[in-house]
Amino acid sequence: METAILQVFRYDPEKDQAPYYKEYEVPVEGTLLNALLYIKDNLDPTLAFRAFCRSEVCGSCSMKVNGKTKLACKTPMKELVETWKGKPLRIEPLNHMKVIKDLVVDIDKPIEKMKTLIPWLVPDPRVVPTDPMHESIIYPEEMEAYKDQIHCMLCFSCYSACEAVADNERYRGPFAFSKAYRFQVDRRDIETAKEKRIRYAISGGLWSCVQCQKCIHVCPKGVRPAEDIQNLRGQAVKKGFTDKPGAKKLKHFVDWIYATGQINRLYLPEEVYGNKEAREKLTKAYTEMGVEVWEVPKPTKGLMKFRDIYLEILSKEDKALDLDYSHVRKIDKMVSDIFKADICTIVDKAHEEGRSSRGLISKLKGLLGGQ
Amino acid sequence: MVELDYDIVIVGGGGAGLYAALWAAENTILKVAVMTKVYPTRSHTGAAEGGINAVLTHSVGDSPEAHAYDTVKGSDFLADQDAVDIMCKMGAAVIYDIAHRGVPFSRRPDGRIAQRPFGGASFPRTCYAADKTGFYILQTLYEQCLKNNVTFLNEWFLLSIIHNGERVEGITAWDIRNGGVHLIKTKAVILATGGHARVYWNRTSNALGNTGDGTAAALRAGLPLKDMEFIQFHPTGLAKTGILVTEGARGEGGYLRNKDGERFMKRYAPEKMELAPRDIVARAIQTEIDEGRGCGPNGDYICLDLTHLGEEKINERLPQTREHAILYEGVDPVKEPIPIAPTAHYSMGGIDADKLGRTPIKGLYAAGECACISVHGANRLGGNSLLDVLVYGRLTALEAVKYADEAPETNPSVAKAKDDEKRILELMEADGKEKVADLRKELGNVMMKHFGVFREEKSMREGLEKVMEIKERAKHVKVYDTSKKFNTDLITALEFLNLVDLAPAIAVPAIERKESRGAHARKDYPKRDDKNFLKHSVVKLKEDGTYELSWKPVTITKFLPEERKY
Repeated sequence: METAILQVFRYDPEKDQAPYYKEYEVPVEGTLLNALLYIKDNLDPTLAFRAFCRSEVCGSCSMKVNGKTKLACKTPMKELVETWKGKPLRIEPLNHMKVIKDLVVDIDKPIEKMKTLIPWLVPDPRVVPTDPMHESIIYPEEMEAYKDQIHCMLCFSCYSACEAVADNERYRGPFAFSKAYRFQVDRRDIETAKEKRIRYAISGGLWSCVQCQKCIHVCPKGVRPAEDIQNLRGQAVKKGFTDKPGAKKLKHFVDWIYATGQINRLYLPEEVYGNKEAREKLTKAYTEMGVEVWEVPKPTKGLMKFRDIYLEILSKEDKALDLDYSHVRKIDKMVSDIFKADICTIVDKAHEEGRSSRGLISKLKGLLGGQ
Repeated sequence: MVELDYDIVIVGGGGAGLYAALWAAENTILKVAVMTKVYPTRSHTGAAEGGINAVLTHSVGDSPEAHAYDTVKGSDFLADQDAVDIMCKMGAAVIYDIAHRGVPFSRRPDGRIAQRPFGGASFPRTCYAADKTGFYILQTLYEQCLKNNVTFLNEWFLLSIIHNGERVEGITAWDIRNGGVHLIKTKAVILATGGHARVYWNRTSNALGNTGDGTAAALRAGLPLKDMEFIQFHPTGLAKTGILVTEGARGEGGYLRNKDGERFMKRYAPEKMELAPRDIVARAIQTEIDEGRGCGPNGDYICLDLTHLGEEKINERLPQTREHAILYEGVDPVKEPIPIAPTAHYSMGGIDADKLGRTPIKGLYAAGECACISVHGANRLGGNSLLDVLVYGRLTALEAVKYADEAPETNPSVAKAKDDEKRILELMEADGKEKVADLRKELGNVMMKHFGVFREEKSMREGLEKVMEIKERAKHVKVYDTSKKFNTDLITALEFLNLVDLAPAIAVPAIERKESRGAHARKDYPKRDDKNFLKHSVVKLKEDGTYELSWKPVTITKFLPEERKY
């Protein structure tokens, strides 16, 4: 029978000074969970791990295999052996949670964190009947909005893989935001609860997510937390929670791309972090290094059409309100001042010249004091 | 010895336990705790796929009476009709309640809760949420418990029930995470610990931990168990692992075929075909296999054919079924039929409880699969277990609240806790002549061979002897892990010992019930015998370790026994 070597993380805080790895030879048959049960039944009954349903619905048996987060009952041994080409398979507990023993980690903390995001329905009495014998009508289409999020089974794979959890103790974890978002897009949930959830999400690190997308890759159930986090951010901005750097970053991106077609590296530090010296320092440094730098890009041919398309895209996602027109007008004015013409005239001229004007114009009004 | 003090302790954090906790939390200021050996969302309610039966306000043409009739007929007339009546009438109320709390039921285009046909039902009344109904219910109930700040004792294992012969006084439990026996004082206890089909260790759809812990503790505490001989074999377990393929697969139009490609159900249930009740379909499949018409090289399975449903329908209605077939059987049901065979699935029997979930001990209640109310009689209909779980979770919660409000303070003695401590120590110091894993496998094989889909006198008597022998040998099993923290070796042993205590309670009434009724199919007595056996079996564990059998009448209100044809 074909076998494989599992190097299993062992640690009993009562007895062991430090964790160590123990090797077991297991059959390459069925899933990783079968292999662990084989160890427990035949080789070493003291090995501790969690498992229950053995059919990927309970979320108990998530762990790491050679650093990758896996659900043991969903991972065929054959696949592991093929992926790692016969190398030993190192089985370890999930990250970011205290090890209780061997592969068992303390999941109370992520559950407590999740709880702060109101991960339950707070029914709006105008939508959900209070009469228990009265059915509330929900159309199949509206359930599309949360059809993925409801698959979360609290296996904490994403929590283990998350970069932001590693960096920020307060960060609630990808799954927690997905659980929260599921109710943000449920028509039955009352507006006041939605408002609160956003506030709690912000204080729970909503803007700390670095969008590395690992949560999406490791989720055994196809939940997409990173996307839910982006959508929650959108909701936060729409609800006027714009004082956090993350919200300001989003605003900078949306507004500048709409106004000029690109973000502005000179203005970003000031607009996002309120750093008033950065623009000057950067300009100076770029110039000294001989790097081409511009304060605003020259409006290009077709800019107005691009704006229409961009607005259409935002509208389709119901994000048109993310655009801050007063900010866009300020950018327009900056452009007009620098190029000494109003924005439409410049765009028209670009048309006449037939240039796509991808070239960047280095025109640094007032910044370098006439250098 | 740490003592914890509550008014109501709910043991088990599955559908029944969580729904009980929720209704208790919302209806009392008493101290309520849920104690569960796993985190609540791991519970096996989460594996219930197909759906939950209820007559809704828009179920035109259907009625709670029709639902009750189907349930009683499905039970082969062994269910208590007063209890069935209560359950079926509460159907719509619990469905709307959990829908209002957020369960994402699949909907019809007009926005109402969708229902599909299910085995043994005269009307499509099974409400569902894709093929993950139990999963969504469990998650939603957990969310709602968090909302209501329910106290959880997660990863605590029930050891013993303490009572004074009249009232319940407390329980003892092992704190898995930190180790140690605890005495928990409480006025009321709701047992919601799930089923015990893991007795059939090697061929079951159940989770690793469905070991009848509450049922076994009740048995050891002198409580009667009812109708234990009735174990439901689900017709469609994946051939290799016994993992469940939902009845929804047949509800959506799946065919069962033997090696000749024949839809053999036409010979067993010409009208209902694949949607006959589970006991009938399971026997049909077993007969096909036994008579040499099974598929595969060893002829040991039957084919569940979904290919004609098409990829779109399979993805929409049966996504989990497809995933499991690919993952655990290596077969994509869009392209090929799924190899299946019967698998031990559900315990109709359990702790003897009345139509409100009350046991003979005051303050002690049982709800869900660990209980035998009995609403399922000799055979449970698909979609009725989730309903049972919710209805009786809620009813026992309200009963317990009422009781605990007025009950006197209890004063449980520490003796039981000391005993349990000693018992655990002894396990760690045993000679180790026998291994849990080996005995457990042996028990599973004996039960499947002698108390499986088909049964007969001689074989069962042999089987019981073997079971008692295993029970004797189980005294030599040893727990090798002597650490306190998260000692899964200890839990595995305790779970096995619970199975060993329950196995004879299945075997004894199985031998004495000399008839075929529902899931209890005897080759030597192939007919139902209402004259002698239209009654519940009751098993008690005597102090000398013997199992005492008695009988008690079935409550019949409206539906007189008739021949069961589908």
